[in-house]
Amino acid sequence: MKATIMVVDDEVDLEPLIRQKFRKQIRDGIYEFVFAHNGLEALTKLIEQPDIRLILSDINMPEMDGLALLTELKALRNPSLKTVIVSAYGDMDNIRTAMNRGAFDFLTKPISFDDLEITITKTLDEIALIRQSLREHDQLISIQRELEAAREIQQAILPKTFPPFPDRPEMSIFGSMIAAREVGGDFFDFFMIDNKRLGFVIGDVSGKGVTAAIFMAVSRTLIRATGMKGISTADCMNYANRLLCSESVSGMFVTVFYGILTTTTGVVEYVSAGHNPPYIVSGSGVRKVELTGGTILGCLDDFVFESKTLQLMPGDLFFLYTDGVTEAFNARDELFEETRLERYLESQRSRPTEAVVEGCFQEVAAFATGKAQSDDITILAIRYNGVPYVS
Amino acid sequence: MDVQTRKEIQAVVVTLTGRLDAVTAAEYARRMNDLTREGETTFVVDLGGLDYISSAGLRELLVTAKLLKGTGGKIRLANVTGMVKDVFDISGFASIFQIDDSVGEALARIG
Repeated sequence: MKATIMVVDDEVDLEPLIRQKFRKQIRDGIYEFVFAHNGLEALTKLIEQPDIRLILSDINMPEMDGLALLTELKALRNPSLKTVIVSAYGDMDNIRTAMNRGAFDFLTKPISFDDLEITITKTLDEIALIRQSLREHDQLISIQRELEAAREIQQAILPKTFPPFPDRPEMSIFGSMIAAREVGGDFFDFFMIDNKRLGFVIGDVSGKGVTAAIFMAVSRTLIRATGMKGISTADCMNYANRLLCSESVSGMFVTVFYGILTTTTGVVEYVSAGHNPPYIVSGSGVRKVELTGGTILGCLDDFVFESKTLQLMPGDLFFLYTDGVTEAFNARDELFEETRLERYLESQRSRPTEAVVEGCFQEVAAFATGKAQSDDITILAIRYNGVPYVS
Repeated sequence: MDVQTRKEIQAVVVTLTGRLDAVTAAEYARRMNDLTREGETTFVVDLGGLDYISSAGLRELLVTAKLLKGTGGKIRLANVTGMVKDVFDISGFASIFQIDDSVGEALARIG
């Protein structure tokens, strides 16, 4: 690529000399020279030709000298514009001043053209390096912006309006996901399948970052679309599993717990696809939901899932979470573990779902103080309130 | 985590000790890749010494097994106990892997 070099000197003889000495490089399009005769003219040229990379400047000039020019150039704060000062041999005081004002290098008069050429090449190489790192920096910034956009999209597909069904007094719901990086692989979702059936899901995609986030979006959408058909939770998993198996790349998989609450009876039909068993917080204490023998989605395409049912009593809290809760580490490398979660839940039976979820995030954060969050943390809490008495 | 390997007649026995998590899973994957590149196709992975396995650890077990199956290799797990067994039960990994009570049993069955 052609490099534009500006020569600033009040000696008019210099221009033909330079054009003569560098005629080959000029002809081959390697260098292009621009000439100015004092600092002011140099600044004007710089505005006219923003592609100027390198300035070779004399010190003693009328109007604005080389040292004043350096001060002006410094104010431009352009790290990829370099100035090489040309001054009389023995003018060390000025040369030192020039270097202190940000000159990249200096040459002494009378100019040795061999030395000039070496200096030009060296300086242009340096400029190229700086420009490349600036470009990479810009790319990094743009990737960060894209990740930020991805994070917003991801948060947008998670439910975020609470209460979600203000006209349904039979249940109270609150859920939230805190990703370990910009984007995460966890998700939760809920939807009314019909007037009396609430579908609810929590999932955890293996791995983190962008690939996990894409797989998460696919899984969530697939389960919602399939679940809305109103088929059993086991059939929904069978279908979603087969499709995810055909999509799965490099051993990506997702653990899912999917349940359907019949709001008129409190019966929950559910299936666990390799997900941590949720808890039921009831009047008689905290208990784990029984496993259904399912496995992760996206691995065995002929696996047959089976569902189970359980009965919720009015006031019972259904607490779903991902292993980011129980596998949070503290500064001593201990895990939060189920025992701490169970102890926390024992006091939560009558608290609002939002307080239960937010309180749990706070418990985990307090426990993991001083440790970076290593996994996404997601919690979904559903309280069954029973059917309201209608007179 | 510590990864020990020894070659038996029927298979390479890979013994994992300590924690198989996001950090150490890469080491396990690297060792398995090296062995596969050396031409080994049959493995018994002994999990008896593991005291913790995270979801990232599970994923690496799965990825390795899939790669191996893709090239006609075989893998059996042995000594899935304690916390590791709990994780296998919850995640349903017992349906995905062939698991034996001891390395000896796994070696006898892998042929």
